[in-house]
Amino acid sequence: MEEVVKHEHKEVAILVEGVKKSFHVGENEIPVLSGVSLKIHRGDFALLVGASGCGKSTLLHIVYGLEQPTEGKVFIDGKDIWAYSKDWRADFRNQSIGFIPQQSFWIKSLSVIENIAIPAIIGGKGFSESIPRAAKLIELVGMEKWADYRPYDLSGGQQQRIAVARSLMLDPKFIIADEPTGNLDFKAGEEVLQLLNDISDKFGITVLMVTHNVDQYKYGSRIIRMFDGKVTSDEQNKNSFDRLEKEFPGIDNEEISIGDEDNDAQA
Amino acid sequence: MNWKFPKFGRPKDAPVEGPILNMRLSSVLLIGYRNLMINKFRSIMTIGGVGVGIGIITFLISLGFGFQEMVVREVTKDNPPDIIDIVNSNLDNFVSLDGKTIERIREIPGVDRIGRSINTGGKFAMGDSQTDGAIYGIDADYSDMSPLKMVSGSVDFSDESSKAVVSSRLAELLGFTDPASLVGQAISYDIILSSETNSEVKGDTVRSENQIEVAGVYDDKDKSVAYLSYGMLNRNFGVDLAQQGRIKSKALTDVPNIRIEIENLGFVTENVGDIVGDIDGFFLIIKIVLVVFGTIIMSISAMGMLNTLSVSLLQRTKEVGILKALGAKRGDIFKMFIFEAAIISVIGGISGFLGGYGVAKAVNVAFNIMAVQKGNDTINFISIPGFFMLAIFGFVAFLGIATGLMPARRASKTHALEALRYE
Repeated sequence: MEEVVKHEHKEVAILVEGVKKSFHVGENEIPVLSGVSLKIHRGDFALLVGASGCGKSTLLHIVYGLEQPTEGKVFIDGKDIWAYSKDWRADFRNQSIGFIPQQSFWIKSLSVIENIAIPAIIGGKGFSESIPRAAKLIELVGMEKWADYRPYDLSGGQQQRIAVARSLMLDPKFIIADEPTGNLDFKAGEEVLQLLNDISDKFGITVLMVTHNVDQYKYGSRIIRMFDGKVTSDEQNKNSFDRLEKEFPGIDNEEISIGDEDNDAQA
Repeated sequence: MNWKFPKFGRPKDAPVEGPILNMRLSSVLLIGYRNLMINKFRSIMTIGGVGVGIGIITFLISLGFGFQEMVVREVTKDNPPDIIDIVNSNLDNFVSLDGKTIERIREIPGVDRIGRSINTGGKFAMGDSQTDGAIYGIDADYSDMSPLKMVSGSVDFSDESSKAVVSSRLAELLGFTDPASLVGQAISYDIILSSETNSEVKGDTVRSENQIEVAGVYDDKDKSVAYLSYGMLNRNFGVDLAQQGRIKSKALTDVPNIRIEIENLGFVTENVGDIVGDIDGFFLIIKIVLVVFGTIIMSISAMGMLNTLSVSLLQRTKEVGILKALGAKRGDIFKMFIFEAAIISVIGGISGFLGGYGVAKAVNVAFNIMAVQKGNDTINFISIPGFFMLAIFGFVAFLGIATGLMPARRASKTHALEALRYE
């Protein structure tokens, strides 16, 4: 189970194999994913894009271990996560993956800094030993002034910065983000994405993020397009202005062609 | 503490899992406490509901037990439970408590001492004063078992004693406002003898103008009574029967056997245990009524608590969702809700218990202040037996678990994604 799956010259960190998922609505079976296979490499900033209802969020939830696939397997760091128990998956999510949901949800009775510490608390640490690290992270996202506020008193953009800090609490190897800027205006969204980009780069975190905002394509090192429950294209993003520059120095940031992505952008 | 959920439906070839990290109890409690604090009003109302319920029960029960103990204490004060009275109240009964019978009873195993007494009519005179009254003839054993509250002088009812002890009322009627001044003086008395006291006498006869010295005065402001020595009455008037016997048993466990033996001889026996039994029976009914009341009150508190916890769960559905999404285990969520219920019931239970007991004590103190002002003795009518405290503790624990169980189970089973989508 622990074998490291190698792909080309790069280590495969997340492997999705023939994943199918269908939902039962009344007597009808609605297929959402009809056989998805993917390889995400260590250090990728992979964007999952596509129209609403194409199955990208479902795929994200299956990879994150929240939604069980009808068929197929998901290997993370070589572990077939759906072969384990629910509590093991919960533990694995907690210890290895940072999660940034579309809308930030908080423990209302806890302060901002305590909410950042929550993954450590879930992992069996005490508040007092977790707060110092949470304090470093809140500084990292530039929100130290708001440490003692209630999270819901902050603006949407501020909340997402806190969510980024929370996702980093246990030094995750992965960050899974479900349209983290979906509810933000353009400027706030850019700031959060820039932050996420800087941080994942700095700490070498593999990111899998769902978005349908074409303006954010520039942050992805890979763009995986989905349509109607299938992956339609999966390519290195030559326009990624940041990481790819290191890998392929000299490439300019060009205008991203979105000619065939109209429906994505509208979704 | 670890709640392990059974892992159903896992295939046999499922991979081996290492230890799974669970939340610390202190963190669970802190989050539960914080959650109660941000909904202060609601929490105070819920805890108050439990507190008032437990408080009322504690108040009523401590009053119930206290009154019972007080009544039993008063009844048994001059009647130790190892004393058995023999009465010859049955008129159809031809058995009499004569010297032979007394000796037979003395032989019964477990009998420590037996005393006898008669009570008959009399007339007392001193100088120009004279009055009717009762004459008791008792022996030393009887006297030891029924001590008199002396105000002056001393008691001696041995067979040789030819002295009397009179009530303060009798002293007063004979013209002695200071009872002590009667001690050492001789009074004259008439005594009625009957077939109840003398085996040789038929009908009533009066023996007049006998003299006796007063050795002591005891406290009784109502009745005019003189106690004389049974031995003296036997010597001077031929009194050879007793109307009442009093037995001290060696041990409390001997009491039932001795009673059976004596009743087999044809006598009727009485023991303070009979009265205590009647009192206990009466208070048992009262306590049952109190428990029914308490149950009604507590069900209302419990419903309030259940309502609070259910609302709390609905309001926190998204919190449950994000906690689960971030890796909280079902057991963690379960603990969070069950401990919130526990915090409510424990705080409510302790404050209710202390409050109810405090109010009951305050009522007792207020009552005693009034009693002292009116010149009466203070009494204690508040009591909580240890088993009741344990019962309250057990009930509080049960309340927390019973009301917390349903919301906690529901919360722990909530699917993370559904919870996050919950509106």
